[in-house]
Amino acid sequence: MKDLISYIAKALVDKPEEVAVSEIEGEQTSVIELKVAKEDLGKVIGKQGRTARAMRTILSAASTKIRKRSVLEIIE
Amino acid sequence: METYEFEGKNDEDAIENACRQLNLSREEFDIEIIEPGSAGIFGLVGGRKAKIRVSVTKEEPELPDKEMGIAVAKEASFSGEENGVAVAKEALENILALIPMEGTSVLAQQVDGTINLNIEGDKSGLLIGRKGRTLDALQFIVNKIVNKSLEKRTRVLVDSENYRQRREDFLVQMALRMGDKAKKIKKPVATNLLNPHDRRIVHLALRDDDELGTKGRGEGALKKVIIIPKRYNSSRSPKRES
Repeated sequence: MKDLISYIAKALVDKPEEVAVSEIEGEQTSVIELKVAKEDLGKVIGKQGRTARAMRTILSAASTKIRKRSVLEIIE
Repeated sequence: METYEFEGKNDEDAIENACRQLNLSREEFDIEIIEPGSAGIFGLVGGRKAKIRVSVTKEEPELPDKEMGIAVAKEASFSGEENGVAVAKEALENILALIPMEGTSVLAQQVDGTINLNIEGDKSGLLIGRKGRTLDALQFIVNKIVNKSLEKRTRVLVDSENYRQRREDFLVQMALRMGDKAKKIKKPVATNLLNPHDRRIVHLALRDDDELGTKGRGEGALKKVIIIPKRYNSSRSPKRES
């Protein structure tokens, strides 16, 4: 899950080297934390949060596959 | 050696597509027919596209797997558009590999400046999602990735298991049914909340019906389409009918 978000985020931002993703695994739900450079924050959120929403949709599809739930948090 | 997959009405057509997209003559690659394709009954029902795999035998320097698609595209003096196809295909393949989706492959094609990516092998419909939401999300992300590296804006369409066509058929049927209802009860009828692409299909489905008008209603990306019978009088005040 972590790698998936990391790949997508790196492909979207201008500074891929500053993308950091961590995963806090719970029993059923894991929380994926995404950190990007300040200038790139808008790129991973998108207009009206569209990019963030699309990433969350893909993430939930991927989580369904392993019968888990994942939440994406974008850290400022 | 690079291999690509192409589709066409029949295998000749597929080969022509390959020549055009790769900018090569057919002597320059090996052709393997994956599916010969069939015209179907009377050329109408059950027609299948022919699918071929071509291997470009031209000598290319060995490159690490990942960059291969893009790098080869550049070196073989592909136009910027072909480059877009390679970027789009690679991005989607990488995302699918990370989900991970086993047994899926991506077919890429460029038609009139639009890149069509077709995911094959997702029997579960996982990649489509409810009302195509996952497919739309993938399409949105791949669009972003492709247009980040291209100067000219290029549209990328992502499809799986012929979902786009199925959805369009469903929406057209629904639009016609609701149109009939609107005429019968002589009152406007509203659809569910639809995204812009789906609304467009509804508007177009009823465009030629002189007795009906369509209008969007709502805020944001999702709106309803209101199907209004032409003689309906929204103010409810009596008016002379022409």
